Amino acid sequence: MSIEKSTKAARGTVQCENTNINLLKANDFVADIIKKQMAESKTLLVNITSSAGSGKTTLMQETAKRLKDTIKIAVMVGDLETERDADRIRETGIQALQIVTGGICHLEAQMIHQVLPEYNLEEIDLLFIENVGNLVCPSSFDLGEDFRVTLMATTEGDDKPKKYPKMFLTSDLMLVSKADLLPYVPFSVEAVTIDAREINHELEVIQISSTSGEGIDTWCDWLLKKVKEKKKS
Amino acid sequence: MHETSIVNSIFKTLEQEFNSDKLNKMSGVYLKVGILSNIEPRLLYNAYEAFHLTNPNYHNTKLHIEMSEIKIQCEDCNHVTDVKNYRFLCDQCQRPTKNIIQGEEMLIHKVEFDD
Repeated sequence: MSIEKSTKAARGTVQCENTNINLLKANDFVADIIKKQMAESKTLLVNITSSAGSGKTTLMQETAKRLKDTIKIAVMVGDLETERDADRIRETGIQALQIVTGGICHLEAQMIHQVLPEYNLEEIDLLFIENVGNLVCPSSFDLGEDFRVTLMATTEGDDKPKKYPKMFLTSDLMLVSKADLLPYVPFSVEAVTIDAREINHELEVIQISSTSGEGIDTWCDWLLKKVKEKKKS
Repeated sequence: MHETSIVNSIFKTLEQEFNSDKLNKMSGVYLKVGILSNIEPRLLYNAYEAFHLTNPNYHNTKLHIEMSEIKIQCEDCNHVTDVKNYRFLCDQCQRPTKNIIQGEEMLIHKVEFDD
């Protein structure tokens, strides 16, 4: 007697559909639209991320002061509440708009896309997105940026890259900020660089201080080089 | 808050993919998420429950989450390494790589419907 193998699927109440749909499909779809818009206007889009209080807004102010006569810069800045950061950046004389997320811990492509009509992209060479201060959630959301830059303040401790690996994995450049405080805090630039590069060996590192001005020229040169490359693309 | 966004996008995506007839019969959604996706299953289950409080239409749909570890494949020697402690180095030749073949995904990989 032979045992017949059933060729029919098991009977039950369940019917399956195998899919491979990305959970962030909606976000990535909008991110692609943003990318195309930036390619048309040849605007360099840079997403600035970090923990809260590591100096993103101060860096935006310093960068604007130095570069606003050379290239046209604009900023959009995300926070849960208040327009304080946009106010601070506007004081330097560049366009800055606040995205108030109302409790959401990161910026999504949809939010960027909604604000974009407020900017005259044809005239803007460099557009910064100052993300919500948070090393976790913003790492998962592509905003259509050309580069992701993460600030890592010396006051935060040099153990952060291994604690928040996704952010460092998806960044192109790490700015070690508040470098003027290095003599007073237990922070090793070497250790943080080694840890971050174990995660992402292509990560560039620049040490900066918006207070003393250290490294700001190198950072501005980096930006100008990328803006130039974008114009040629 | 991140988890709430994820749950919303799960249903937004499903509503785009399937017609309302099928959606009414949906009994299970299977997610495959890599540990690099920053998704914490327990929090996502909670957010999922909370979603049902305001959206009663999907209360029969169960959520299943499968986590996946990080794997990289060396571009030089093709060796596949399980990444431990976030060291993205090939086990065999010690070359650094960003060629992640598993661990970043956030996928709806199966949807079940009642007959």
